[in-house]
Amino acid sequence: MIGRIAVTPRARPSLAVRAGVPMLALVAALVLGAVILAATGADPGEVYRTMFDAGLNGARPIERTLTYATPLILTGLAAAVAFRMKAYNIGAEGQLFMGAVVASGLALKLPAGTPGVLMIAAMLFGGALAGAAWAGFAAVPKAFLGTDEIITTLMLNFVALALMNYLIFGSYSFWRDPTRPVPQGNTIPDPAAMPTISGRLHIGFAIAVLLAVTLWWVLRSTTFGFRLRTIGDSPRAARYVGMGVPAATLAVLGVSGALAGVAGAIEVSGVTGRLDPKALAIELGYTGIVIAAVARLNPLGVVPVAVFLAAIATAGGSMQSIGVQVEVVTLLQGLVFLSVTAGEFFVTNRVGLRPPSPPTPPTPPAPTTTSDVAVLEAAS
Amino acid sequence: MTTTGVEADPVALAGGPPVSLSVRSISKSFYGVHAVDDVSIDVVGGEIHGLLGENGAGKSTLCSMLAGLYRPDSGQIVIDGSPVHLRSPDEARAHGIGMVYQHFRLVESFTVAENIVLGDGTAMGRRARRAVEQQVDALAEEYGLAVDPTAPVWQLSVGERQRVEILKQLHRGARILILDEPTAVLAPHEADRLFDAVRLMVGKGHAVVLVSHKMNEILGHTDRVTVLRAGRHAGTGDTAALTPMSLTQMMFGSELVTSGGVDHPPLVPGDPVLTVSHLTVAGDHGRTAVDDLSLSVRRHEIVGVAGVAGNGQRELHETIAQLRSPMTGAVTASTLAYVPEDRLGTGLAPGLPIEHNLALRSYRRPPHSRRGRLRRRAMRDSAAALVEGFDVRGARDGMPVSFMSGGNLQKAILARELTEEHDVLVAAAPTRGLDMGAAEAVRAHIRRERAAGKGVLLFSEDLTEVLELSDRVLVMFQGRVVGEVTRGDYDVERIGLLMTGGRA
Repeated sequence: MIGRIAVTPRARPSLAVRAGVPMLALVAALVLGAVILAATGADPGEVYRTMFDAGLNGARPIERTLTYATPLILTGLAAAVAFRMKAYNIGAEGQLFMGAVVASGLALKLPAGTPGVLMIAAMLFGGALAGAAWAGFAAVPKAFLGTDEIITTLMLNFVALALMNYLIFGSYSFWRDPTRPVPQGNTIPDPAAMPTISGRLHIGFAIAVLLAVTLWWVLRSTTFGFRLRTIGDSPRAARYVGMGVPAATLAVLGVSGALAGVAGAIEVSGVTGRLDPKALAIELGYTGIVIAAVARLNPLGVVPVAVFLAAIATAGGSMQSIGVQVEVVTLLQGLVFLSVTAGEFFVTNRVGLRPPSPPTPPTPPAPTTTSDVAVLEAAS
Repeated sequence: MTTTGVEADPVALAGGPPVSLSVRSISKSFYGVHAVDDVSIDVVGGEIHGLLGENGAGKSTLCSMLAGLYRPDSGQIVIDGSPVHLRSPDEARAHGIGMVYQHFRLVESFTVAENIVLGDGTAMGRRARRAVEQQVDALAEEYGLAVDPTAPVWQLSVGERQRVEILKQLHRGARILILDEPTAVLAPHEADRLFDAVRLMVGKGHAVVLVSHKMNEILGHTDRVTVLRAGRHAGTGDTAALTPMSLTQMMFGSELVTSGGVDHPPLVPGDPVLTVSHLTVAGDHGRTAVDDLSLSVRRHEIVGVAGVAGNGQRELHETIAQLRSPMTGAVTASTLAYVPEDRLGTGLAPGLPIEHNLALRSYRRPPHSRRGRLRRRAMRDSAAALVEGFDVRGARDGMPVSFMSGGNLQKAILARELTEEHDVLVAAAPTRGLDMGAAEAVRAHIRRERAAGKGVLLFSEDLTEVLELSDRVLVMFQGRVVGEVTRGDYDVERIGLLMTGGRA
């Protein structure tokens, strides 16, 4: 039976396949999760209902979910844009910290009477610049010496974390509130706080979605995006037609770092209100990598994936009320990502049963390879 | 060459009659192409048997069958008088056949001794390790293949690595050694040393098959020679009785077209459009690949570069296309169209669709973009026009080009390159692996370029094709142009001789 399963690559997966397969994968993950929950004695129906209520049912839960999704969208975009060019920026975590450090520093330094628009613009811009610069420490050696950015960006995360912790816990720095005995960041002035859309949901979410759409458009419809897609697919082909790979590497890692830096600035301005290492170091950067992978590096895909993940995560607190461990949430996240990523195989390949007898070629130029078969199928 | 102090006593080591390998009427085809067709060879202990042939003559396929990698479609392999079936490299090894590949198969982070016993099941405890190291030392001493058994392979030079490969085969008890182009990676003094060791081996009763396409090497270091041409046996003889001329005749045959292809009207060449002067380029391994080379190509002229692969052709055309930088010398070309050897990966981005690939050169200017904004509609329209005009089949919008066949990929590259403004076309192996129809279409484009007043520099391993298309042929050997022949004056034997390093 196994021997009769035929796998042929799909030349052009249709939209139905590209959207339908992940949906089916999601259902499969929830079913699998239900089996595990039932096996551990919980009522899957109750768990899912509680999670839905806590994450998505009603204005408050939705506000909470979207607020939590905001930095994840940005770190997801940071990973997506870099990975598209096969520049593996694992450093969104550290770039986010540096964005938060510079944004909170600016908010504290600028005169408290500065209009909010200017204040927030300065924070976002400063955060972006800080993230880009932090990514630059890895990008410059990669572009000119060929060092492995996976190692350097990862290492820089620990440097950034240590620096941020030092500013609050290890020193009486400008960022720390001198009036409190317990180490804590100084509160940023009111004009530096993000205006809200509804409840606690701030405009940072709108900024993140806008950036996602912009990035999608840049990749698809600009010469910069064209260059980036070419280099990502084949650096040799890119060099052969005269594209400057080092310059593109700097640009892409810069953009990636800037997006992560903006995430840091938005968190300070919209959520924490101060440089708060504990609230910032919750692996937003690493989670962004997972989000980008599940979204197949498509900026538009990053938004729903980040929101979905945020919904499950915000539901975590409600689990205790029905006597279920919070870890169930992590388990479900893992299952969803695993099955969606595995579903990718079915997007890029057509899997079916081989006909029992050897097929007769439909047209005289008989297909000789599987790719030819795929071409013929795509043509029909 | 003679080696003193070695008594040719095959019986002493082999412990019986000298080893013999005979290949009888062996054939192998791939997808209907006869790679090896009815070939017979006899090799006995105590001799160095040269195996000579052009690229694609079937040498590698024959060796792979002897090494147990491929199974023959028909024919027989006989070792010491009894027919054997070599179904895997392990079985070939068990019958005493040891293969030393041109590209080494060593684990760089392991030591020499570890590599030598790799795969034969020896557990490397401390005592076993010392024993292996002593055996390796003894073997190295015996054959003059000095190498430190405790050194990790990554620290070794190319020549030393090759010695490790040979020692590995000897350590496993190989009696028939096949050396695939062993000197391709060696400096001349290292090659001399290798041949000294090979002499010692045959002196002790081993049989050695030396695969090469260097004439001098074959004539200087073998006892007998078998020549393959287009998969068939073209002749065998005692080396002493052969001359460079007779070998060349066997290698290239005499039925080659020597002048006058179809549709090749005489044209008067114009100004030079590509000039290469005193160019020296380093290869991937730091050796000099192109050595003080000069050439020029004029309008209305096709200049062919003939040569056996690996003599600096790739480095030369990659430097002309600015994919490599020269050490010294200069390339002057106004505008260049380039058809690279590697279609998918260099010529085209495999995962991207046809409309993207066809715009790779033009995406930064109207109509394909304006002020940094792509005009996707315009890109699709011009892609459709090129696909139509160059008869590219099997392309669909949005489909990665890796799904297309070789001939259509090549047509797509030509479509892009030839519609860009250019004075000279540099084409590397433009018809390799293509079917007849596609190859003829590519050749027609090259002729049209010449007629349109462009200069063409054509690199090809297919001598017939080079002679058919070119107005002049430059022969490359070891990074230099060793000869130039003009159309109408083509002497295939002379070209063949030059290609293989002979003097003409």
